[in-house]
Amino acid sequence: MRRISAYFISLLILLPAGNLFSQDTVFFPLKLKAGIDIAGPGIYLSDRNNLSFEGYISFDKSEKMAYVLETGYLNYKYSQYNYDYTSKGAFARVGVDFNLLKPETSLGKYWAGIGLRYGMSLFNSETPSFQHENYWGTVTSSITSKKAIGHFIEVAPGVKTEIFRNFSMGWTIRLKLLISGGAGRDLKPIYFPGYGNGGKRTAAGISYFITWNIPYKTKTVITKPEVVAEEAVETEQKTQTTNTNF
Amino acid sequence: MRKPGHYFSVLLIALGSAFIISCTPGACYEETNAYLKATFYSNKSKEKNSPDSLTLIGLNKTEKIYNKESGIQPAFFPLDASSESCTFVIKINNVTDTIQFIYSSYPHLISKECGYTFYHKLDTFYLSRNAFYVYKSSNNVTTANEENIRIFY
Repeated sequence: MRRISAYFISLLILLPAGNLFSQDTVFFPLKLKAGIDIAGPGIYLSDRNNLSFEGYISFDKSEKMAYVLETGYLNYKYSQYNYDYTSKGAFARVGVDFNLLKPETSLGKYWAGIGLRYGMSLFNSETPSFQHENYWGTVTSSITSKKAIGHFIEVAPGVKTEIFRNFSMGWTIRLKLLISGGAGRDLKPIYFPGYGNGGKRTAAGISYFITWNIPYKTKTVITKPEVVAEEAVETEQKTQTTNTNF
Repeated sequence: MRKPGHYFSVLLIALGSAFIISCTPGACYEETNAYLKATFYSNKSKEKNSPDSLTLIGLNKTEKIYNKESGIQPAFFPLDASSESCTFVIKINNVTDTIQFIYSSYPHLISKECGYTFYHKLDTFYLSRNAFYVYKSSNNVTTANEENIRIFY
């Protein structure tokens, strides 16, 4: 009876001790971030008909998730042999970013993950002239400027890394799905802010952000390696086996 | 746990794909004309039947759309987007008539690559001699494969 009591006492001491020793902590800085896209101005250097600016702010809810608001402006012109087109306006996207890196890898400096966004675009599009040719000859016409509101959703995987203290860089690929171009079935926008080619159901894009990070809180994240947890279970099982044998 | 390098590779592949898709120069492969589509029926059997000879020409035009062609089913009538009506001279198996279509036109974007075309709403039509019986099945004249009229000859 005395030996059983001894084992029980040992077990009671071991279990919390096991948890205590397996517990690992990471001090994770939660941040408010503000960034600007340099891909848009970069594209403008090679294509003077496509001017776009974009920026974002995000707020870390936890080490895994952040709320994001992105806004931007586009002034787009396009010409080809049978029409001219212009589109100008602003857009906003709201959503969340999920960090797929573990806190002990990320440490608040590295981010590799996926974002989900809902986007809305308010824009004016115009077709100053277009030509249509058939059996009866060539017809030249135009479509006057119209306001429209487009809606879309995005999946945005990407990476970011801290390059200096509180400054980071990284890119995001944007895989977009059109909900509505906002201009009806016949006069879909050829290109609209935040989305791209409004004649297509899906579109892709890229953003390259320079970000300023403002830490607002340090969160203590408890990480518990599975190996240590297994060891504790094993210890417990061994103790129970010894008790049974006795 | 997978290494960050794994995520980086996946993202790099996605980036490459997005870049290729976005930078592929566009070419127009779609139909750019919205034709009024006419299907031919035998007036006796009321069955679908293509004529042995079909000639179609726009009024006051020199270029024929069909010239004594056989086996045409359906026939494509190009409407004039600059006008609210257009007339065709149609000759089916040596029987000639003129048909005038009254319609409205509106622009439609085909794609970024192809640009715009005109779609039409068919209002009505008139035959000068009533040599054939014509039935309107749809008033939407688009690039879709949709029958607009039936011509019984």
